[in-house]
Amino acid sequence: MEKNLSILLCAILFFSISCRKNKTQFDGPSINEIYSDFKIIDSFKINKDSVNFTNAETAVFSAKFNKIVDWTISIYGATSKATKIISGSSKQIDISNATWNGSSTVFPIFNTENCKAILRVKDVTDSFMVSTKIVGTKKLDGFMIADFETGIKTGWTKFAQTGANMDFQVKSDSLAPEGKKYLSMAGTVEWGWLIGLIDFPAKAYGTSPVFPLGTNPNSEYFNCLIYGVPSTNPSLVLFQFREDENENGTFDANTEDEYDYQVTVDWVGWKLISVKYADLGYLVNGAPATPKGNGLRDPNKLTKISMLHLADPNDGFASSKLDLIIFTQNGPLQP
Amino acid sequence: MIKKINILILLMFVVNVCYSQKERKVTFVGGARSVMTNNRLVVNDTIAEDTSTAKRNTGGYALIDLGVNIKPNKNTEILGMFRIKNNFGGFWGSGVTFDVRQLYMKGVVANALRYQLGDLNLKQTAFTLFNHHADAIDSLPTVFNLQRNIVNYEKFYQKNTWRMQGANVDFGISFKNIIKEINFTGFTTRINATNFSSVPERLMSGAVIQIVQSNKLSASYNINSVYDVKGTVLDSNSFTNKVQTIDASYTTKIKENNLTIAAEIGNSHYAYSVDTLAPHLKDYFIHASASYKIAKYHTKATIGYLEVGPEFRSIGAQSKDINYNTLPVYYDRYTNAQNIRPIALIDLISNDNIYNRTVSSKLLSENAWYNNAMPYGLATFNRVGAYGSIHYKKDIDAVVSYYNLNEIKGQGTLALQNFSILKCNAKIPLQVYLKTAKKLEVQLGTQMQNTNRTSAVEIENVTFKNTQYTAGINWEVFPNFELMAGLVSQNAIGTHFIADRNVYTEVTYFHQNKLDIQQQMKAVGLMYHFSPKIYLNTIYQQSKFVDGNKQFADFNINQFNIIYNMLF
Repeated sequence: MEKNLSILLCAILFFSISCRKNKTQFDGPSINEIYSDFKIIDSFKINKDSVNFTNAETAVFSAKFNKIVDWTISIYGATSKATKIISGSSKQIDISNATWNGSSTVFPIFNTENCKAILRVKDVTDSFMVSTKIVGTKKLDGFMIADFETGIKTGWTKFAQTGANMDFQVKSDSLAPEGKKYLSMAGTVEWGWLIGLIDFPAKAYGTSPVFPLGTNPNSEYFNCLIYGVPSTNPSLVLFQFREDENENGTFDANTEDEYDYQVTVDWVGWKLISVKYADLGYLVNGAPATPKGNGLRDPNKLTKISMLHLADPNDGFASSKLDLIIFTQNGPLQP
Repeated sequence: MIKKINILILLMFVVNVCYSQKERKVTFVGGARSVMTNNRLVVNDTIAEDTSTAKRNTGGYALIDLGVNIKPNKNTEILGMFRIKNNFGGFWGSGVTFDVRQLYMKGVVANALRYQLGDLNLKQTAFTLFNHHADAIDSLPTVFNLQRNIVNYEKFYQKNTWRMQGANVDFGISFKNIIKEINFTGFTTRINATNFSSVPERLMSGAVIQIVQSNKLSASYNINSVYDVKGTVLDSNSFTNKVQTIDASYTTKIKENNLTIAAEIGNSHYAYSVDTLAPHLKDYFIHASASYKIAKYHTKATIGYLEVGPEFRSIGAQSKDINYNTLPVYYDRYTNAQNIRPIALIDLISNDNIYNRTVSSKLLSENAWYNNAMPYGLATFNRVGAYGSIHYKKDIDAVVSYYNLNEIKGQGTLALQNFSILKCNAKIPLQVYLKTAKKLEVQLGTQMQNTNRTSAVEIENVTFKNTQYTAGINWEVFPNFELMAGLVSQNAIGTHFIADRNVYTEVTYFHQNKLDIQQQMKAVGLMYHFSPKIYLNTIYQQSKFVDGNKQFADFNINQFNIIYNMLF
């Protein structure tokens, strides 16, 4: 018995040793390539001289190198000054890693204009440039709450305090990140946090008492652009989402859910804020609390959105700007 | 805090009532420790004098681990252990922490099936679930080992076990003929808890079926599986890493000597169910050894063969005890640029903060300074070769071992790296030769690792040496009063490549790394034993770090420690 088992053990071992195949490949990228001098094998190109993003067209960049490199393509709008940055680490730039759908990384949003794209490679001093022209801008897919292009819409409710240096107006100047207009909010209110607010009821967009959103809170994304003004006190922008759970056409603050999303504007320039409806919380004086309704996030029952511009009364003057409030589905806005 | 103290008082009251019963059902176990430390940092930055880092650091703590062992009946045992820790300077809430350190229940069902729930110390084979302590210094002088023992206590290291939480059962069946017994062991533990959003519930389950044919021959089937519990997150992508092995051991007597032949073979499977970017890694390993113990010469000679495939993955056996991405406790940043201080010898020996308590789902990075040849112990993937060792143990305890290994699959090139390890360690009880009753023990050790790769392309060449020397002395000057001294020297010199790996453990890049690191630790200490389990120890140690390539600024850390330690 023991002898037989020992023989079996040895047989298994010898069989196992002999069955590994010789390896003709190696793990990871080639060290020889990594440490060789950079060469561009196929030059940097774009597949379209002009591109119409409105028709869901895309522009594809291409190039081929002799080794894996860290690269960045920066696309600049000639008149809008919008910028799109695409980056990667690869041996080849192609449709899989360098496709542009007309979106922006640095605001404003691209306009119909000439663009130049510059390819930069890490640790390489030379850069490579191609040009194209946008003949149609990217369509913003989603349900638009406010882009302020027609001012304060009928059906919205606006309230602004009577403090010092107050500004709660739609403005049109070169700061507009999308279209030509945006909402400017500023002021000093010494007796409270609220500087101004706008209510966006669902009925302002049609006859339905609720917004036309889906039922899945994991698929609905709330987005907006907020501008942080340099050298001012930080603003708080608070969004309130009120649900008509019993579908009677009104919101009852004692028995139905309200969800909130508060943003502390502590940056300079335009920034895209996106939040999944499922991730909204309920706040009381800025602190998390339990909603008063069924506690379920039901985007299809959303009846009113309020935007409040707040600031600490002890800080004094606060200012920020707002544009492009929009709901998107299945992901954040790609402006 | 007050609430926790009230709970403790209530618990102690209940325990006191139980304790006063006729039959002793409750016992207290645990330990206490007080550490006082005074540190001084000296930075030798070639750029400018470091004026940004506070150089002196004093501190310490006192702690008590109070465990209550309750035996409500002869088949059940419950252990709950609390820890109260007070950092020096803290008082009532400031610097005082109150934690549950251990909690488990164990017992026997029907005098046949043993079980344990709660905290578990688990180990299987070297390729399924095993804490290899791959970077540990084999012959650590006693003066340093006292500090290392505190790390082991803090992290629940018991030789090669990992601390886990879950349930464990084992039972055995005895036979009269052919087979002596069959033993079964099974466990399920939690690797990480779900956050109900993006992190799935991840469990590890394992089983061993051991067939003992006789005192000479035994064989086992081992399985270890790490898997995500479906439905704990919305994402249907789930991870699995399954390792299955068979091991066998045969021992026979040849005259008065013993011959033991042992082997283990197995395979692994590492995959994600939905993720199309994730690879399906499958590979196998073979480990076989033969040992011959010559009684007359108190010597045991071993030879072995090891082959671990390049895509062999085992979370249980390839988890490292040291996380080199953790910041050290003392002087985590230094120089005017406040750079992160590298993990040095002093941290390896005495800093429990860098050690992991349990296995890690992620393949933790290796550190070539301390171990380039076998960073994951015997379970290091992509190694094939042989080893041999000779162990002499009579008065002197000496071991010489040599490993010669190669890569199976090239890393960034078809040329393969060769690894060799030579270890020589000895513990010499001089009191035997000086014929004195007082202990006078000398420890000597050396470890040399060489890594080489010769390629037609010069940039791919690797020449890397990692050497370590240790020396220690332990002299019982008076009864129970010992004088200790020790030295550890560690050098890492040469050129090698560090691999960047993605979340799937695939190599994405190679960084050429030129090293000229020299480290040294010297220490002297006094120890007084109040009893075998209680001692008072004072240590003064100097740690020196020199980087010849000046990638890191040189530094010294001088440390004076007073340690009082007791177990009860």
